[in-house]
Amino acid sequence: MFIGFHSMLRSAGLKVGLGEWLAVVEALDKEQVQPSMADLYRVARALVCRDEGDYDRYDQAFAAYFEGTPLPPELDARLRDWLSAPIERPPLTDEELAELQRYDLDELRRLYEERLAEQDERHDGGDKWVGTGGKSPFGQGGQHPSGMRVGEGAQSRGSAVAGARKRRFREYRSDRVLDTRAIAVALRRLRRLERQSRRFELDIDATIRATARNGGDIEVAMRPERRNQARVVLLLDTGGSMEPHTRAVEAFFSALKNGGGLREVVTYHFHNCVYDKLFTDVARFDYKPIEDVLRSVPPHTHLVVVGDAWMAPYELFSPGGSIEIVTSDHTPGIERLEQLANAFDRHVWLNPIGDRYWQADTIAAVGELFPMFPMTVDGIVEAVSVLLGTAKRKEGRRRASLWQDVAQPRAGRYR
Amino acid sequence: MTETFRRWAGTADYIADESLIAAVNVAVALGRPLLVKGEPGTGKTVLARAVAEGLGLPLHTWHVKSTTRAVDGLYVYDAVARLQDSRFGDRDVRDIEQYIRLGPLGRAFDATERSVVLIDEIDKADLEFPNDLLHELDAMRFVIAETGREIVAQQRPIVIITSNAEKELPDAFLRRCVFHFIEFPDEARLNDICAVHHPDVDEKLLAAALRRFLELRSVRDLRKKPSTSELVDWLSGLRLAGIAPEKLEKSLPFLGVLIKDEGDVRRAERTQSGAGGEGADPSGKRWGRWQ
Repeated sequence: MFIGFHSMLRSAGLKVGLGEWLAVVEALDKEQVQPSMADLYRVARALVCRDEGDYDRYDQAFAAYFEGTPLPPELDARLRDWLSAPIERPPLTDEELAELQRYDLDELRRLYEERLAEQDERHDGGDKWVGTGGKSPFGQGGQHPSGMRVGEGAQSRGSAVAGARKRRFREYRSDRVLDTRAIAVALRRLRRLERQSRRFELDIDATIRATARNGGDIEVAMRPERRNQARVVLLLDTGGSMEPHTRAVEAFFSALKNGGGLREVVTYHFHNCVYDKLFTDVARFDYKPIEDVLRSVPPHTHLVVVGDAWMAPYELFSPGGSIEIVTSDHTPGIERLEQLANAFDRHVWLNPIGDRYWQADTIAAVGELFPMFPMTVDGIVEAVSVLLGTAKRKEGRRRASLWQDVAQPRAGRYR
Repeated sequence: MTETFRRWAGTADYIADESLIAAVNVAVALGRPLLVKGEPGTGKTVLARAVAEGLGLPLHTWHVKSTTRAVDGLYVYDAVARLQDSRFGDRDVRDIEQYIRLGPLGRAFDATERSVVLIDEIDKADLEFPNDLLHELDAMRFVIAETGREIVAQQRPIVIITSNAEKELPDAFLRRCVFHFIEFPDEARLNDICAVHHPDVDEKLLAAALRRFLELRSVRDLRKKPSTSELVDWLSGLRLAGIAPEKLEKSLPFLGVLIKDEGDVRRAERTQSGAGGEGADPSGKRWGRWQ
């Protein structure tokens, strides 16, 4: 029954195995009435989708199969071509970002339709057409502050699809939660269990011993519960160039806070580089002098820095290089970073920028001090191994990436 | 197969849309757990009660907390009670069975009658929690290690699981569930829901409250949008205080019932004054418009 629908669902990107499909058939069978189109839609959706993020894809596949709307309209094939393998650009500075014109949603949509009608080839790194890595508001991997992401299955509003379905679930799709579960599982390995809790549990072995000594009359022995003693000091770059990576950072942060089961996570913020003050709030109002932090590092503390390490060279190397007055510091940032690396024997740097840019001056210099890993699930797993001292190679991904850029430019191995 | 297929169609005080009804019936027919997600306050937890009521089945509720272990839902062995009894000789301690207390899932398996089990907020528990339940939910049987007794479900219970998406659930678990996402109801359905909870409400008040409520929900960047259950509570408040519908045009009494985040209050207020035009608050009092 409807085998074509099954394959349509699969080509829409839903993970529908034979098991799920047989369940659909069984459910319809048990209804014992000729199912209406609406029944079929609902029953199959309940069994095929695993997440509200799947609803949109399901709607498209349904429309495609039953209403004859082609799933990949010609327009989208073109778009896919233009948008595949997006180029990456170094982040724009705040000033550059400020220069870009912002649009509201309706304006944006109107312009988008206009561009689509006119455009006939691929454009990368530009500021007008639908393309990748540029300042244009349309495309992928671009940096326009009010731009819209096109592609990755999120199909266009082209005329072929427009009337077929309302696609109410589109929002849920773009809102997909990043996989914090995989990150949390990786962070779990930082666990260090010790009996230092103030809560007590029954010590069975000791109870048996004490009871035997007591001539059989029960003597209960207690001991402190095992508690995770691992602590993490998290330094977050909250500079403007980190803005495009907000979601990745948020996912990591929430996994660290909630999923890792750590004893303590202390968070500090900095802007581009670390100087004499570590800020305790995002707005960078309240701070703790870095000396205080360095002086009192509790045992078993891991230092995790999240930042792009992308800045003007003077911000890293010159005394007083900070671009903010409050943090004017006669010690250059690079020395502050070195102090941090020395104070915490377990330290890593997670960088949300793709590792093909890591040979850039400031990133490379920071990478000398901190084992640096991409801010992906894989990167985090590797970083945890380094923190635990179980990694095969300790220097991070930096060198491997240098080689890779020479050997296969734009191959996109880490995508 | 008709005897296994009992149709549930919502109850008098639980308004369900067609796709939720379909999802419930699919779960019932296939004997698979139903996983329900959705914004807080869209009636995920109440659903189980409504299903139990609608099908005339008993309901076992299992509220999951961060410390809940999967085995707690099956049974708990009260070793301490047994130890005490052995010292004071109150009961025959050779009979371990009397120290086994079945959990909600265990009771549902053990009963001769079919029942509904609610596993509420599964995402609150440990990451591995859903995986630990996989086998029991699949096979609908388990062994009590202490006595060796195997409990096999005589009637597959209808299992309803709710999640607030705080943690992601493992794929293997999702594959075995029927999934439904409760959408936020549209205006007509909201109207129906309010009518169920406040059957004799003044129509003008309901209409005015609904309009203001939807306006509030449309404020951008709210950290927590007001939910259906909050709307119902708000209406109760408005009615108890005898607020006239016209008053809602200019102010939002009991805003705290709808919005619970300080930042959200400010965001809502900003939009409000933007929409209300300039000079809307001549008194200059910051909160004047809201009370």
